[in-house]
Amino acid sequence: MTTEVLELKRHKMSVGKWARVLGWRHIVAFLTIAFALFPLVWMTSASFDQLGLVSAQKLIPTNAGLDNYRKIFSNPDAPYFTWYRNSLLISVLNAFLQMCIGAVAAYALSRFRFKGRKTTLMTILVVQMFPQLLAVTALFLMLADLGKSLPFMALGSPIALIVIFAGGALGVNAWILKGFFDTVPMEIDESAKVDGASHVQIFFRIILPLVVPSPAVIVLLSFIGTMNEFVLSSVILGASGDPNDLTLAVGMQRFIDGQYNQQWGPFAAGALLASFPVMILFLYLQKYVVTGLTAGSTKG
Amino acid sequence: MKKYFEASPWILLKIFLLGGLNAFALWAIPILVMNKTWIFAVYIGVSTLIIDYVFLSKKRIAAKYIVPGVLLLVAFQIYPALFTGYVAFTNYSTGHILNKDLAIDVLLSNSYQSAPDAQPLAAQIARDKATGEVTLLVQRVPGEVTAATKKGSRLIPQSEVKFDENGSLNRVEGFEFISEDEGYTLLEDLSAILAPLGQNQFVRLLDLTSAEIVVPALSYDSKKDVMTNTGTGIVYRPNEFGSFVSEDGTEELEPGWQTRVGWYNFERVIEDPRYRAPMVQVLTWTFIYAFLVVITTFFAGLLLALTFNHPKLKARKIYRSLIIIPYAMPSVLAILTWAGMFNEENGIINRMIGTQLPWLSDPTLAKAAVLIVQLWAGTPYMFLISTGAIQALPSEVMEAAQVDGASTTRTFWSIKLPLVLYSLTPLLIASYAYNFSNFGAIYLLTGGGPQIIESGGIAGHTDILISYTYKLAFTAGKGNDYGLASAVSFLNFIIIAVLSTYAFRKSKTVESMT
Repeated sequence: MTTEVLELKRHKMSVGKWARVLGWRHIVAFLTIAFALFPLVWMTSASFDQLGLVSAQKLIPTNAGLDNYRKIFSNPDAPYFTWYRNSLLISVLNAFLQMCIGAVAAYALSRFRFKGRKTTLMTILVVQMFPQLLAVTALFLMLADLGKSLPFMALGSPIALIVIFAGGALGVNAWILKGFFDTVPMEIDESAKVDGASHVQIFFRIILPLVVPSPAVIVLLSFIGTMNEFVLSSVILGASGDPNDLTLAVGMQRFIDGQYNQQWGPFAAGALLASFPVMILFLYLQKYVVTGLTAGSTKG
Repeated sequence: MKKYFEASPWILLKIFLLGGLNAFALWAIPILVMNKTWIFAVYIGVSTLIIDYVFLSKKRIAAKYIVPGVLLLVAFQIYPALFTGYVAFTNYSTGHILNKDLAIDVLLSNSYQSAPDAQPLAAQIARDKATGEVTLLVQRVPGEVTAATKKGSRLIPQSEVKFDENGSLNRVEGFEFISEDEGYTLLEDLSAILAPLGQNQFVRLLDLTSAEIVVPALSYDSKKDVMTNTGTGIVYRPNEFGSFVSEDGTEELEPGWQTRVGWYNFERVIEDPRYRAPMVQVLTWTFIYAFLVVITTFFAGLLLALTFNHPKLKARKIYRSLIIIPYAMPSVLAILTWAGMFNEENGIINRMIGTQLPWLSDPTLAKAAVLIVQLWAGTPYMFLISTGAIQALPSEVMEAAQVDGASTTRTFWSIKLPLVLYSLTPLLIASYAYNFSNFGAIYLLTGGGPQIIESGGIAGHTDILISYTYKLAFTAGKGNDYGLASAVSFLNFIIIAVLSTYAFRKSKTVESMT
């Protein structure tokens, strides 16, 4: 530490010192990045490799072309665009619902002092330890029963899936949002109240605009999380047996399962196209993500 | 007056939403009651009343914001958790789905077989013009026509029936004949017809032009609660596991019904060698796996964070963006890609290091593969939170260490690590709990395999509790054992609860968070 600080004070470093202080860091960076990009690079390479076999793949394909993309777009057993649409619809709706239900609850928990506030906070904290996927068997049986009466809550229905996800809205997201709302001083509410603003107006016109990038980040994080969800989507949407009901995550898994040698190329093409939007969105939001993370969430 | 107009669009929206909810409840509750799913009917009814009360009251301001979320939380997170606990004490599984009454109905209707001396009867499929019902027109004795539907049968008066010269049915008043081609599309409705025709005899479709007389092989005595095979005379009595069993115990009637079986599922996990050995193995691996993932990713992330936390390091931002790519990639697709790269015969990894290692089918290598993929997937997260924690370290402490002449290694072990660990402990605990049930990490890469042979092929060497549960519930070859799966889930719940409570208590984070 001491030597480093001293060296920083000089403007130029000798090559030896550069290697000792900074050079090795660049080497570590290159190795780490190579590891981090490894699957992405091979996914890209495989998607353009027209042989489409795991066994014959080279890093730079000898006969590059778009065959694999054509294959994944036109496979009647793997309706790629339908999956894409399902994933987007479910994720957008879920992100929106998570935000609405979570934000209003977080507002109440942050602003009002009422009976049961502590209990609600504790419940939210405890429930976070029990992800819904642990109760997947119970949810499956519940829908099997409920679907007999209410067709939109039957197994195979995307609405049922979204409603179940909404049950988890009072979780991590509400917790993080409460943290954001807490940063807005109470005096602002009080002066607005004196001026005759109602609690609804305070929420929509004052508090929400003041924390504005953060709710947007929560929306995008739950969007990404839902795009990634596998267990519940697989059990609930897969129950109907119709490939058109699936999401990308579940559909691609069923598409490639046990068929690595035959479907590697088309799979890579589909996976790459599905990964890109999510990755770009994520990298674009990096700095907000870090704040969200340190507020106590984990991925998933 | 002015204020009223200003508020009116919101009031209209509120009336519209509340009205919609109440209309939904009024529509749904009778259906739920009809299907005897009481708990859902009651829950929807009570929820609607609570929402009506809260939103029509002027006082319940906080509740307006919080009640919708809480009601959903109770319905889809807390109830399923409790229901898991309930199912764990039942024999809910393939063959034990129905309640007892329904199971008896199914047993009786499955037991129909051709009457001993029966001949196929001439039959015509038709549609009742009045009700639209699909009907079977059967001639038990030539010239005597009976109309059989799902609901029953009735004899048709001779005057309403016309035959052509060769004696085949030509026209029956009030019925419209259905062609054989159309009949194929109605097979499901047609084969549901089982109508009484004489003493303890029934008629059902044989093919599209004929019917047969059938008799039930089983008869049920509701007073004694026994099933008797009328042909062989064997008596079947209900046992405590929801099945009718013959007196010598060798024969069991399918399907059985759903019933509470006490601690039986838990006993099986603990005592039955088919479940105990794999369960111990799976449980041990779950603990080790989650621990190793947290430790390896944390140290990798922390070291990277320290490495790149140097003010003179150019390109820091680009490095950081590239390093967190695994965290940004959709994990399901990334893990499936890894599975392809670990492919044994000619996967990229084997070809790069020039080996033929059976990555996904050797127990040890499969575990290594799982850990490598998680190191890839989990390090960026740890890198991000460690960077945050290091940057938040109080600079005075670091300076003091420098002044005292502490070496780089010494400051790391004695000052930085303890401080970083202190601030990150809650996140590390959460990460442990998350990895403890990280289904995708296992299931998508190895499918839990390679199989543990003693488990009958259900459990695998890389299975963790949650993936084992999933396989028990949904993919086990012999049928799905929801009861056993819930028992294992229930154990999973308890382990996580105990571990997290203990860890949080020890790190005293709960108090500081609320």
